[in-house]
Amino acid sequence: MSEPTQTDARRIAEEARERVRFEEEALDLSDQVFRVARHLVGSREEAEDLMQETYARAFRSWRSFTPGTNLRAWLLRILTNLNIDRGRRQQRTPQTTSIDEHPDYYLYNKIEEAEGRPLDEERVIEKLSQGSIVDALAHVPHDFRDVLVLVDIGEFSYADTAQILDIPIGTVMSRLHRARRILKGELAEEVAT
Amino acid sequence: MQPYLDRTLDDTQVREAEAHLDGCSYCRSRYRFEVSLRRYVRTAAAEQMPVELKAKLSALRTPLQ
Repeated sequence: MSEPTQTDARRIAEEARERVRFEEEALDLSDQVFRVARHLVGSREEAEDLMQETYARAFRSWRSFTPGTNLRAWLLRILTNLNIDRGRRQQRTPQTTSIDEHPDYYLYNKIEEAEGRPLDEERVIEKLSQGSIVDALAHVPHDFRDVLVLVDIGEFSYADTAQILDIPIGTVMSRLHRARRILKGELAEEVAT
Repeated sequence: MQPYLDRTLDDTQVREAEAHLDGCSYCRSRYRFEVSLRRYVRTAAAEQMPVELKAKLSALRTPLQ
């Protein structure tokens, strides 16, 4: 009886070490996860709740994570699923009936027009305040914003984003394209007013 | 332009895009604008995680037996 018990003890100790390692790695990534989470929901409070739910779930189901794969993507997969489960579709974001979409260079042209002369790019950007970017992001409808936030703020690849949101890569690309146009349209409104 | 910015083109397409950008100041200035805008969105949107939240997340860890 003593042999199996020792083996068991070793196995348990090894598993505990793996779990600790997993938890530490997950916590090390929490700043980066938060940065994305913050813009997937409407407020800082919601983002904080969602982070806690995500980490509670992650720590419970750590065994289903495959070591050596992308832990940050795994955590965001949990987070986006929880966010959808929370019935975010009923939340905030005035879902405009028609989405303003403009050609790719709309924002650039609009700013140039407002200035009445050709612009250098850095100056154009200076015209946009930090708050206006955050507001504009919040006005991009959910499905498009998720993709934009994961790719542009989270710096995930199209493939990782597709996996996180469980949508085809072609959908990631088309939503991203539209999301950027919508965002730029929102920013152009700001500049024009 | 977008696939070039997202680095999703293959080598041949990248060369074509770069050759075009080299010769077209209209696209080049808009390209630089897009690059700056993306960088700006990333920085403007960066919000620090509150320290209290980090502590709360740590508290969710499995207690050691």
